[in-house]
Amino acid sequence: MANYLAQFQTIKSTCGHLVIAVEDVSDLWPTIKNSFEERLPFKRASLNNKTRNAVFVENLQAEFILTTDARLRSRFPQEQYLFWFREPYATLVLVTCEDLDEYKTILKPRLKLIVQNDEREWFIVFVSRAHPSNDQASKLAKKVYAKLEVEFSSKKRERCCKFDVHGPEANFWEDLEARIMECVRNTLDTREQFYEDEIRKLSEQRFNPIWNFCNFFIFEGLESLAFMFEMAHLHEDALREYDELELCYLETVNIGGKRREFGGLDPGDDQAALLIPGNKPLTQIVQDDSFREFEFRQYLFACQSKLLFKLNRPFEVSSRGYSFIISFSKALGLHESILPFCMREVWVITACLAVVNATNSQYSEGNAAPEIERQFYRLQGDLYSLCRVKFLRLVYLIGYGTEIERSPVNSALLSMLPWPKPAVWPLVPDGAASEVLQKEKIIMQENPRVKPFGIERKPLPLEPTALVREANRRRASLSAGSPSEMFDSKQGFADGSATDVSSKTSPSSKALANSMSRTYSSAGSFEGSVDRPMKLAEIFVASEHVLMQTISNPDLQKTLSSIQEIEQKYMDLTKGAADNYHRSWWKRHGVVLDGEIAAVCFKRGNFDLAAKSYEKVCALYAGEGWQDLLAEVLPNLAECQRILNDQAGYLSSCVRLLSLDKGLFSTKERQAFQSEVVSLAHSEMKNPVPLDVSSLITFSGNPGLPLELCDGDPGTLSVTVWSGFPDDITLDSLSLTLMATFNADEGGKLRSSSATILKPGRNTITFPLPPQKPGSYVLGVLTGHIGHLTFRSHSFSKAGPADSDDFMSYEKTTRPILKVSKPRPLVDLSVAISSALLINEAQWIGIIAQPIDYSLKGAVMHIDTGPGLKIEEPHSIEMGTYGSAAQNSADTSNSGDTGKDGNKDFEQLSLLDGKIEFPDWACDVTSILWIPIRAIDDKLARGSSSGPPQKQSIVDGMRTIALKLEFGISNNQIYDKTIALHFTNPFHASTRVAYQCSDGTLLLQVILHSQVKATLTVKDAWLDLQDGFVHAGQGDGRPVSAFFPLVISPNSRSGLLFRVCLGKGIAEDENKLQPESILNIRYGIAGDRTIGAHPPAAAKSNKTEGASQELIFRSAIILQRPVLDPCLAVGFLPLPSDGLRVGKLVTLKWRVERLKDIEESNVPQNNDEVLYEVNANPDNWMIAGRKRGHVSLSPKQGSRIFISILCMPLNAGYVHPPHLGLPDIDEANINCSPAGPHLVCILPPDLSSSFCVPA
Amino acid sequence: MTSTACFIIVSRNDIPIYEAEREDAAQLHQFILHAALDIVQDLAWTTSAMFLKAIDKFNDLMVSVYVTAGHTRFMLLHDSRNEDGIKSFFQEVHELYIKILLNPLYLPGSRITSSHFDTKVRALARKCL
Repeated sequence: MANYLAQFQTIKSTCGHLVIAVEDVSDLWPTIKNSFEERLPFKRASLNNKTRNAVFVENLQAEFILTTDARLRSRFPQEQYLFWFREPYATLVLVTCEDLDEYKTILKPRLKLIVQNDEREWFIVFVSRAHPSNDQASKLAKKVYAKLEVEFSSKKRERCCKFDVHGPEANFWEDLEARIMECVRNTLDTREQFYEDEIRKLSEQRFNPIWNFCNFFIFEGLESLAFMFEMAHLHEDALREYDELELCYLETVNIGGKRREFGGLDPGDDQAALLIPGNKPLTQIVQDDSFREFEFRQYLFACQSKLLFKLNRPFEVSSRGYSFIISFSKALGLHESILPFCMREVWVITACLAVVNATNSQYSEGNAAPEIERQFYRLQGDLYSLCRVKFLRLVYLIGYGTEIERSPVNSALLSMLPWPKPAVWPLVPDGAASEVLQKEKIIMQENPRVKPFGIERKPLPLEPTALVREANRRRASLSAGSPSEMFDSKQGFADGSATDVSSKTSPSSKALANSMSRTYSSAGSFEGSVDRPMKLAEIFVASEHVLMQTISNPDLQKTLSSIQEIEQKYMDLTKGAADNYHRSWWKRHGVVLDGEIAAVCFKRGNFDLAAKSYEKVCALYAGEGWQDLLAEVLPNLAECQRILNDQAGYLSSCVRLLSLDKGLFSTKERQAFQSEVVSLAHSEMKNPVPLDVSSLITFSGNPGLPLELCDGDPGTLSVTVWSGFPDDITLDSLSLTLMATFNADEGGKLRSSSATILKPGRNTITFPLPPQKPGSYVLGVLTGHIGHLTFRSHSFSKAGPADSDDFMSYEKTTRPILKVSKPRPLVDLSVAISSALLINEAQWIGIIAQPIDYSLKGAVMHIDTGPGLKIEEPHSIEMGTYGSAAQNSADTSNSGDTGKDGNKDFEQLSLLDGKIEFPDWACDVTSILWIPIRAIDDKLARGSSSGPPQKQSIVDGMRTIALKLEFGISNNQIYDKTIALHFTNPFHASTRVAYQCSDGTLLLQVILHSQVKATLTVKDAWLDLQDGFVHAGQGDGRPVSAFFPLVISPNSRSGLLFRVCLGKGIAEDENKLQPESILNIRYGIAGDRTIGAHPPAAAKSNKTEGASQELIFRSAIILQRPVLDPCLAVGFLPLPSDGLRVGKLVTLKWRVERLKDIEESNVPQNNDEVLYEVNANPDNWMIAGRKRGHVSLSPKQGSRIFISILCMPLNAGYVHPPHLGLPDIDEANINCSPAGPHLVCILPPDLSSSFCVPA
Repeated sequence: MTSTACFIIVSRNDIPIYEAEREDAAQLHQFILHAALDIVQDLAWTTSAMFLKAIDKFNDLMVSVYVTAGHTRFMLLHDSRNEDGIKSFFQEVHELYIKILLNPLYLPGSRITSSHFDTKVRALARKCL
């Protein structure tokens, strides 16, 4: 069988193409060989695949071989049968003939012989040697060819074609290829059929004990079939066959109850051969009736990958490769005990690298679909990272574990990866004592890497269990001791594992371990006694030695030989993985590995690169908010930045460290971060950069309603600031911007004047707030200084995804913190009184100060009196709440008001420089100010004569007082108001002569109109008469005193009568003549100052109990001498009582009486006669008798006569009666009664009875 | 009873918003789950099912993922193959999570701090896993 296998192998390696046999009947081949072979390989061929579907194949390789060739002849029939795939796929029969007879007799029988009895696919090429110019010959050739066609071609199948040596026909080659293809296709189909039948037969017998995989493999031809497909360029089918083959093989491996040899023990087996089909001849790997798994699976995979590469599917190679490596690694794990030490790891490393390199070289970017491409890179990354893990494991085993970064990724990969499980853990080779010592020294010298900032972290484990224990447990000869014996002296080295264990062991056993370790570490005790547990250094040395034996690849050996090489390899692998993951958009995988690269860069002192890579990692973790992971990397970044002197970066890293979850770092560590920040802030910084501490210092307004201020008011704004610093931190300055919601550009800046100390956690900071424009404001940015460092914080208190680095993503609170209202009246000043006050007297004016939702605390009122008005200085200003003011004022006037000073809502204030300061109690209540003032008017009041009193011009009594109120928090608010006050005299006097007595005494009525809303009491009144008038009688010109006091109600009138007569006063001095009379009234006033005029504010000392003050009112009255003095009186006597009627005669009578002696008047001469004349409207009256005439009237005073006249009214109605006039006498001397024209009623005439005769 | 190492809810911005750990190898578990987000990102759009089953294997540990309609991911790191239990665990946690979302005071995407939720999730873990 081995023979066959070897033969198969050689056949496979030699013949990779189809064979077309050439039966050269007429010895023509040498002449046409070249032109035929030029056609190879066939450009395009159509073949049937296994499912009989047409498949187009390009560049099909083929070879023309003469049947007489040794290769075809020297085969045994069995061989042919075995390796059928190499038999010719078509037989080309080359013939020529120029003679019909010759054809019939010789050629035809010969051809028949060739063609018959043969399963071969054949066709005939008739070669015509006739020259085209030779008509005869070519005609003959045509004839022969026609015969040939008739004989051998059928309708179904053309089996002939004709080749002209001298220039073949245009379509000859196409015909030829078509013929060949047809043959090949048919042959393939039959052979496929055959193989399939065989396979089916054998598969059915698979569970038969005598079944033999090798037979199945070769003889019955799965592989042969696959190879045949491959030859025919039907790679897909070939691949399918190999897949099937693999399945079958795995099945046999898995079910076989018998233990088979696994393989992999040959030198060089550690190097994966999964891409090299011809790595080992199959003969070498055959075992019993099958193949060794180790080699054969790799062989199968190699065949598959070869096909896949041919199909240009490197992606599939890597994807199949990855899973193959995984599953194969598992298989290796199962057989680990028989395989060399660490064979599995080494194989995986080499396999991964082989697949990666092969696929990378085959893969051309951009050919595949994007999705496939991503997958491809992902697989590459996976392969790299798998390789990396195994590599790390080896590195650890040979004692370079300290060089491995204890990062989460390494820890995650390694701490769950089991140790190699050799049957027996290797022993220290003889003569390696020096190496052991050296290793031990390295271990002793190794200091656990100190984390920046003194961060103490339990190092992440890199090993599943303590290597010491594992190794010793696997030493066959060692009897199990107590666990504490297992541990090596240098606990610090295997930190992860050691702490792991020591934390589990009780303190006593730990102490024991320590004491034991001391004895072990003494160098002399190194004797390699069998029972003594190996020490770590020994384990390393032993591992290294055995590993070097395992590894056959010199490159890998070299790689593991020194720490530099290891580092380089590690870097390559990590970079490869990271790059590929990045390309596949697996950014998390990629970035994590970037972190590993950074760690190496850091170790090499390439801090720039390290910082860059660390930044990437941090950005990813921070962006996605994985704080635990960030806490692992960020200190490293900070350390890089510190070393690079990148102050800005370093500070921001510190701030980020501080703003991580508090649980991630101990208080001590956090304090270290803070002290870094603070010390850097206070040092000289070259380029001070604003530091964003949004994540660390957050702020928000106080909850509840926003602070409301009136326009122009300053205020204080208290803001809650949360500090994330672990300790108190001193901020040298702190300011906060306010942003107006109405306009983003508007806003103010608040500054905290002094240094602020922020406690950890919540702080309340109060900012003085200068006056702001009206509107509402939200908090903007918090800025400040720590030392020379400027910082700013944008963030409000943690509400949203607080851990996000991107502060823009914060939901900015739109809750206003401050509202400045639009200008509005804040206070109102008004006068408490509506009616007029007394002029020229001290009067209180009440001014109501009404705060409108605003405090008047500390308000100052400036009082400025206008012209004609002054403040009565000696009086203090009274202030009281408005509601109780009236009552208070009453109280004050009654009792000594000093006792009232204690009262909260009443106070006496004094005026200083025209200013009054408001007391505190008045800050939010409506209060009233009573200010004593006096309006000054020099003019004397003027009375008016008779008739209703003219309205006095209001302007005369008008005075103004200007008030200015300064109030607000810093007296910034000003309220101005000018108040008009109305002053008036208490009375207005008007006069009339009430009666002129016959004796010349005039009754002068003085009417007093009260001008004020107060009760006036007239106590006395007298007239100083002007020249030409004297008081009648003996009186002193006063009314009867019993009438006094005369009370005049508000707005009412009362009158006084004075008897005066004309006459010369006893005027001694001409100069002292009075042009006008003066009315003097002594009066009292009882009024309320809240209403209007009131008793004058008097100095307190002058006040007398119960007695109201007496005031004098003076008013000028002008009296005129009466100029008329009638001497006659004409009186119209009453008419008869039955009335006047039209047409009825009536006697009208006048009485004429002499009022004065005639001599005194300038009447006409005939003293006793008076001329009279009656005038009447002739339309209304018919007068009978004399209308004009003289009557005698005695010149004596009191003489009288009657004049009567008969007349008849003519019209009914009210008509003027006839008028008696005295033409001789001046009208002024006649006193008529009635005085003016008057009307009388004339009734219509009586009904005439003649017309109304009773029936 | 399976041993569950870690359960994390990851918001659609990839931020972990809830974590429940059983042991203290926090970094490792977080690391594994974080890396598994890469796989979730590839797988989530290939299926309409919310439960993505075990998507990643890390030696003995497996990562099972459940993606809600809002692309919040529930990630469970566990070492058992009790798929039905895990599925029902996820579904019940989903209900709890929806209740959290309905809370008007909860800002979607922020950390879940409700102790009630925590208690319930832990109880569910005991029950289902």
